[in-house]
Amino acid sequence: MNHTSTAERIIRGLLLTLVLLFFLFPIFWIFLMSFQTNEDILRIPPSLFFTPTLENYVALISGRLSTVAGDLDIAFMRNLWNSVLLSSLSVGVALILGVPAAYAFARFKFRLGENIAFTLLSFRFAPPLLVLLPLSLYFSELGLSDTYLGLVWVYQLIALPLILWIVRGYFEDISPDIENAYRIDGHSWAKTFRKIAIPLARPGIAAASLLAFIFCWNNFVFALVLASADKQPVTVGALAFVTASGIQYGQVAAAIVLSVTPTLLLALYAQRYLVEGLSLGAVKG
Amino acid sequence: MYSREQDLFKSYAAQKMSRRELIEKSLKLGIAAGTANFLLNSASTAAMAADFDWMKHKGKSVKLLLNKHPYADAMIANIDNFKAMTGVDVTYDIFPEDVYFDKVTAALSSKSSQYDAFMTGAYQTWQYGPAGWIADMNEYIGDPEKTNPNYNWDDVLPGLRASTAWSGVPGAELGGADSKQWCIPWGFELNNVAYNRKIFDKLGLAPPENMADMMEVAAKITKDAGGPYGIGVRGSRSWATIHPGFLSAYTNFGGKDLKQDGGKLRAAMDSAESKAFTAQWVKMIQDSGPKDWATYTWYQVGTDLGAGASGMIYDADILGYFMNGGDNKEAGNLAYASFKANPDAATPTSNVWIWSLAMSNFSKEKDAAWYFMQWASSADHGLFGARKMDFVNPVRGAVWKDQEFRDRIAQSYPGYIEQYEASAPDAKIYFTPQPLFSTLTTEWAAGLQKMVTKEVPVDEGLDQLAESVNRQLKSAGL
Repeated sequence: MNHTSTAERIIRGLLLTLVLLFFLFPIFWIFLMSFQTNEDILRIPPSLFFTPTLENYVALISGRLSTVAGDLDIAFMRNLWNSVLLSSLSVGVALILGVPAAYAFARFKFRLGENIAFTLLSFRFAPPLLVLLPLSLYFSELGLSDTYLGLVWVYQLIALPLILWIVRGYFEDISPDIENAYRIDGHSWAKTFRKIAIPLARPGIAAASLLAFIFCWNNFVFALVLASADKQPVTVGALAFVTASGIQYGQVAAAIVLSVTPTLLLALYAQRYLVEGLSLGAVKG
Repeated sequence: MYSREQDLFKSYAAQKMSRRELIEKSLKLGIAAGTANFLLNSASTAAMAADFDWMKHKGKSVKLLLNKHPYADAMIANIDNFKAMTGVDVTYDIFPEDVYFDKVTAALSSKSSQYDAFMTGAYQTWQYGPAGWIADMNEYIGDPEKTNPNYNWDDVLPGLRASTAWSGVPGAELGGADSKQWCIPWGFELNNVAYNRKIFDKLGLAPPENMADMMEVAAKITKDAGGPYGIGVRGSRSWATIHPGFLSAYTNFGGKDLKQDGGKLRAAMDSAESKAFTAQWVKMIQDSGPKDWATYTWYQVGTDLGAGASGMIYDADILGYFMNGGDNKEAGNLAYASFKANPDAATPTSNVWIWSLAMSNFSKEKDAAWYFMQWASSADHGLFGARKMDFVNPVRGAVWKDQEFRDRIAQSYPGYIEQYEASAPDAKIYFTPQPLFSTLTTEWAAGLQKMVTKEVPVDEGLDQLAESVNRQLKSAGL
């Protein structure tokens, strides 16, 4: 039954529009900026009307950036590729390690179990800079500095605790009776895990993976310190447009649009899982 | 390569003919401009190689850590000549300035041997040097086995050589007794006025000559220019807010950052000179500065000048230089003027920022790295960068005397050479070298922010600042 009056509906619509404008306007403005020259962007007063240009995107994709000081080589597409590679691999590794661990923490009680789980979570508490300097010493000893392997390993500090704790909550919400019934049929724990637990927990796993992907994508400091320029992700690469001879606002905006697109598409695609997965995993029955 | 063309450029490099003759003969031989540049650089490189075994480290490789900067671009544009002359391979990582020093600090503090040489500011070496992270370049400059006889270290401007040398004793004079040469000056900037000629002509204004004049001119622009504000200066909570215009003018009025007191360092920001000058500076920003001054860094100050949003800036001369080109709206409309804040001072006292090259103490190829450093800081590379690229301001006297460079600047950057020559003799680092530089100077900028927002009166703000600085100096045993 609907008790909402017309006035209420109008007010609600207005408020929703205001909220949407507030949150979406910066994104909309950046999108517009990505089709403008620096001169258009810096016009006083700013204007919504301009002659659109694709030159910012062309500069990013072709890898040549024209600045006051002449043409510069930029490696933005490589940065974008590095972000995709590092984030996907890190989430992949974290899933392989984290999902079985989450299941074990959810289903079995063992000595020091809670302590271990909490220790893994505590990786999220440590300020990255605190662990980075000792890590870079170890990495140079082990030959892991400036390697994708080393970076994926360090990214586990971000992805693993997230996946482990979210998926653990989800496993705990699934009744063990279904698994027990399957086991009574003579199946092993491993098969129960693969055939029953994982399919039931899939929304939670998808949600946790997406969150871990976004967190890895947004990471800045790990790759900055531990890798050379050719392995830097997009978060560091986007700063290349801030040069001593000026800020290339148009290219910064185009870089933001390009770098947001993959995560935005992924988030839109997985939105259903994200909300369902997070809410189910978080609420205890 | 064709021998006649090569001989022609070799004769020029050996100073047997003038540049005009070279151009005429090149044209007769039908050499295109690009080829001529290449031949000329190769010939200069060959001339440089004449008396020295540049091939000693052939086959080795050197890795550099560079900031994304026109100086690095000029070097990269010319690096093939170094590789051909020495047989040393050069690779590099370039990071944007926002994160550059974090990367350097992380690499050095973890004793990484990944980078052999890197770009640094002189201020940063006050931390890196005493920590043992970088090499003393005196050991190389003075060694005839390692240094090309034509290197001519004395040609590097004396103020810059002194400003990059320090004994490591907090408060000791830069370039004084027992100093170590922590880095090699590469390119530098001093601080003067760059202004928008269109706005100044429209309002019938002349570039300001002293602080009172600057306040007046800035106020008039804000009031009458119909949009643009009067003066752009930095204001973010960073040491970089203090070191350009502010410290240059502050020093001109006799202000000091720290003073010696019984063998210990003490804050000098609470002196009468400091309070009088700071009050003027704060008022100027309140009356005629940008609205969101507290967020202003190099980038915003420059961008506003280039976009016509400000009438003038009191900042690095090369910032005004960069804004006079490219796709900036006001490109071609900017001009430059020397600035002496205190009418009673004998000369301007411009504080300088020096981009320099330093050698990592953890490098495994120090000698090869020094080959690169001496080539990159040579007069030949300096001339290439100054004539063809934006490698300004040059650190060598020989480059400043080069007519082609001077003609290029005089043609497109009115007043630039004059402002440089008026300020250069007394341009040096006016900070007291000590390892807490970054922390204390950042606090100074934070204090300035509070004064501009009227959170605290100027006198009281400076007393509080001095008290806090003294406390930190004491607890660090300085």
